[in-house]
Amino acid sequence: MRKLIILFILGLAAAHLLLPFAPLAEARTSDPELMQLLLVELRLPRTLLVVGYGATLGISGAALQAIFANPLASPDISGASSGAALGAVLGGYWLGLTQPMALAACGATGALAAMALLIMLAGRRADTATLLLAGLAISLAAGAATSLALALAPSPFAFYDAFDWLMGSVVDRSLPQALAALIPAALACLMLLRRARALDLVALGEDVAASLGHRPRRLGLEIILLSAIAVGACVAVAGAIGFVGLVAPVLARRLTRGHPGQAMVPAALIGAILLTLADLAVRAIALDRPIPIGVVTALFGTPLFLHLIVTMRRGVAS
Amino acid sequence: MTAMFASNLAIPDRLLATDLNVAAGEMVALVGPNGGGKTSLLRAIARVEQATGQVSIDGENIAALSEARRARLLAFLPASRDVAWPIPARDVIALGLGARNDQRIDELVELFELTGLAERRVDRLSTGERTRVLLARALASSPRLLLLDEPLSNLEPYWVLRLIEILRASADLGGMVLVALHDLSRLEAFDRALLIANGSVVRDAFPATLMASPQFEEIFRIRAKHGNWTLRR
Amino acid sequence: MPVSASLWATSAALRVASLDLCSDEYLLLLARPSEIASVSRLSHDPADSQLWRSARRHPANRGNLESALAQRPTLLLTMGGGGRATSSIARQLGIRTLKLAFPATVADVDRTMRETALALGDARRADGWRRRLADLRTVKLPPLDAIYLTGGGGTLSPSSLGGEWLRIAGLVQRALPGGRASLETLALRPPAVVIRSTYRRAQPSLGQRWLDHPLVRNMPSRRIDTDGRRWTCAGPLMLDEIERLRSLR
Repeated sequence: MRKLIILFILGLAAAHLLLPFAPLAEARTSDPELMQLLLVELRLPRTLLVVGYGATLGISGAALQAIFANPLASPDISGASSGAALGAVLGGYWLGLTQPMALAACGATGALAAMALLIMLAGRRADTATLLLAGLAISLAAGAATSLALALAPSPFAFYDAFDWLMGSVVDRSLPQALAALIPAALACLMLLRRARALDLVALGEDVAASLGHRPRRLGLEIILLSAIAVGACVAVAGAIGFVGLVAPVLARRLTRGHPGQAMVPAALIGAILLTLADLAVRAIALDRPIPIGVVTALFGTPLFLHLIVTMRRGVAS
Repeated sequence: MTAMFASNLAIPDRLLATDLNVAAGEMVALVGPNGGGKTSLLRAIARVEQATGQVSIDGENIAALSEARRARLLAFLPASRDVAWPIPARDVIALGLGARNDQRIDELVELFELTGLAERRVDRLSTGERTRVLLARALASSPRLLLLDEPLSNLEPYWVLRLIEILRASADLGGMVLVALHDLSRLEAFDRALLIANGSVVRDAFPATLMASPQFEEIFRIRAKHGNWTLRR
Repeated sequence: MPVSASLWATSAALRVASLDLCSDEYLLLLARPSEIASVSRLSHDPADSQLWRSARRHPANRGNLESALAQRPTLLLTMGGGGRATSSIARQLGIRTLKLAFPATVADVDRTMRETALALGDARRADGWRRRLADLRTVKLPPLDAIYLTGGGGTLSPSSLGGEWLRIAGLVQRALPGGRASLETLALRPPAVVIRSTYRRAQPSLGQRWLDHPLVRNMPSRRIDTDGRRWTCAGPLMLDEIERLRSLR
């Protein structure tokens, strides 16, 4: 089953990379090196970003849901994504940082600050309502602060960038930018995956996990730190994209019989698929102005999110 | 000879520095008032994050052991029967095992008479059924030491007796069982009883002796009279 | 007439207040310093105006009549909009208003120069500029395919004022869909020349980061940098630039 999904992702990624094929064909006829240039410098970063960012959202969403023991936790709802956007904007527009890695670090810092604030406000074992409210408050505040930081930035064009930062954009990113996001994200995600067993055990309670040699509090801090790094680096390059980090783990847990830690890998695959499909949709709707990818993810994510809330209210958590 | 040696067990504000040794084959009950330290003592032996002290089982200091090795040495069952995620009962039991072992799971399902419930999600089980699932999880790796917090609550009378039978069987095979009890009516089934109050062990004796002791009356404010309890005024 | 207005009316000296970045340009180039009452504060900003040094010798107004009154202008200069109330209130105060239309063609620029000079009392002040412009327009150069590039891939329409200036320099702005040059266009169908605006180059924005993309930095077209500030109003200051572009192509 897993092999099938991986094959599907590869196929989807290939389609994302190669479509529309006409410009590539045109390039090949005039100069084969040109086609390679287009593929490597223009198409590849975008494909890498949608697959990698999607997978990152899936893994960190699953990890956050596991450690908060709450099916609504995710990078966007916890405020991590908005915090990362604020960090990246302050670093890029106010501190004047240009190195992609430095901006990734700013994103990670912002995400971490947002999550620290969330823990302070809601605590780690908060009930759903408290977690949602605190996360929402932080998201809105960070989003507003990001818009303000852009509005007050030296360049008057900065204000119009707000949409890209708060709704996401993978358009016209360079390969160094994509790698600056995905290398830290990949490393952080690998470290998250190694904690799958511990996260599964936390379902039995922190004391049981501790009795088997794990350290729940330290695990919690590690999960938050690693998620912040992974998501922060991606947001610094492609902006904050919502709903994938919420929906992919929920779907993944259907495949793992509810185990939250084991769900990280399937969530990565599902997240990659969702974000790639979203970007294909963005490209299919060929308008003069590009639709931010976050709009598409919101379109399919909102019904699922509402369904989740309704089923939770009925006391049947998924 | 299997034994557990624990020294300087403490949890800030909950448990004062306590030593405890348990020999193979012993079924030990921990009794005492709410908040007195029964649960804290169990948690301290289970090495939760806030606990200090040393615990060695079969000569091994458990602090430095891997999860796989620890699972063979001890298992802890908390008083809360919560499982954070709606996982099937069978999978909960499997969490007690390191590697997948369907045969062992089947054995436990049969032992705790969960056959019809094995595929059901734990949030859809009654508290008693969930307790049995969690007990099965605790026993899954056949640990040397069982640390059970109030395992008899939520169980119907059949299962109260059945569980004591299962624990006795485990002890007879050389294991050690440490149980925190709220309900004193089963105390006689145990080999040894510890009275814990205000964060320390007040008395350590045979159950009958303990129940007749002045400390017992003092702390519980009840007195045994002709096999019945009366309030001590 | 209110007393204060009649006081102003008696003073004969010409004092002009310009309320708009583009009208500032005409004023600063054609008027004597003693004739300038104030310019809009946009001209004081080095990021927006090439003439900021000379602009800063004069007080700044906020683009409305109220902020211009302090310097007691006798003539108000505006371009491209402004309230209708402005001119009627100004008239009541005894201040003349000249509403210049934003030029749609280079011929309009020529006309506006003449209009402004007339309002300043001497049409001949614009002669030097107009002669240069006429000279430029007479010599036609063989056209080169070109793209004007700003942050984020922004470009001009060939039928715009900027596009017409480029044609005078012998560069034909390519018509691009959505008013935007894509990375693919620059790589696959590069023009002979890319005129790259340096407007606010040092100020971070996603548009400026776009210009750092490898496909832009390494594009095969010939690159000529241009001071983007002039292109905002595309007025008389363009003459220098067009002469330079002609010589460079």
